[in-house]
Amino acid sequence: MNRIARYAAVVLVLGLAVVLTLAFARDPHDIKTGTVGKPAPGFALPSLTDGTTVSLDQYQGKIVVLNFWASWCIPCKEENPALTDVWERYRGTDVVLIGVVFQDSADAARDYTARLGNTWASALDGDGRMALSYGVFGPPETYFIGADGIIAGRHIGPIDEQTLMTGIETLRAKSATR
Amino acid sequence: MTATRWIIVAAILAVGLAVAWTARPRPLTAAERVDRISAELRCPVCQGLSVQDSPSETARSMRALVAQRVAEGRTDDEIRAEFVRSYGDWILLSPPLLSASGLVWLAPVAAIVLGAMLAWSRARAPATVPAAAGPTDAELRRLRELVASEPE
Repeated sequence: MNRIARYAAVVLVLGLAVVLTLAFARDPHDIKTGTVGKPAPGFALPSLTDGTTVSLDQYQGKIVVLNFWASWCIPCKEENPALTDVWERYRGTDVVLIGVVFQDSADAARDYTARLGNTWASALDGDGRMALSYGVFGPPETYFIGADGIIAGRHIGPIDEQTLMTGIETLRAKSATR
Repeated sequence: MTATRWIIVAAILAVGLAVAWTARPRPLTAAERVDRISAELRCPVCQGLSVQDSPSETARSMRALVAQRVAEGRTDDEIRAEFVRSYGDWILLSPPLLSASGLVWLAPVAAIVLGAMLAWSRARAPATVPAAAGPTDAELRRLRELVASEPE
């Protein structure tokens, strides 16, 4: 019995060590939620600028970079130059950048895009339902959707150009081999 | 049985019936279901608050979505599953037992079982009293000399 208890204690301590190691080794920017690896939830939202509808369906077969942002979000402003560079680089190709306004007024969001000179499409998620369907915690958050419509990855927090490029090129390479 | 005893028995029965009537299972109203489901969901932008308790805009959106799904006739499980699809099991304040997060339920049970096993093994182990060491030959010799030298 003593021996069994000793073995049980060792197993328990080892188990605890494994759980703690896995927990501390995890990158907090890489929180896996239910949506990564699954089909991207469809959406049809009003465009921020011209009142038309921005929907995921209209970009079928393209690589979509979905960026949740708000004018009150300071880290969103930090990541804007990276988004601008990537947008200029891939404009007119098989890669689309779509901004989604998160918990913000249309006027404030329009003023923000005008001030920063953003020209990519942005959509208004007025009731926050679209963000909930993607499992968004808060802006900025970026999702990479492959040409197959599957969410390949997400990035929580301000994103840099290298991370954007890596995400996009990985999906492009995957599309090329299909 | 005297009249007083009858009255006491009747009073106890009446109280029991009243309690049973109050606690009877009854269908919840839509608002009660929204409250209950919202209380089970974690607010993603808060520290350990439920959607029911949080005043944040995200929690308000979630609560509105729960209310809409209840009005559409979805079951509680379907509504919870919709949030789990988006946020994983993390979104549930009480994680399901059969999941990675469900380990939190098993940990206290494992600790209690382990503790009980240790206590039982300690209780069953024979008490080991260290054998009393006898005097050495030199000590015996010295003792005999002392006894012999004692005056009668």
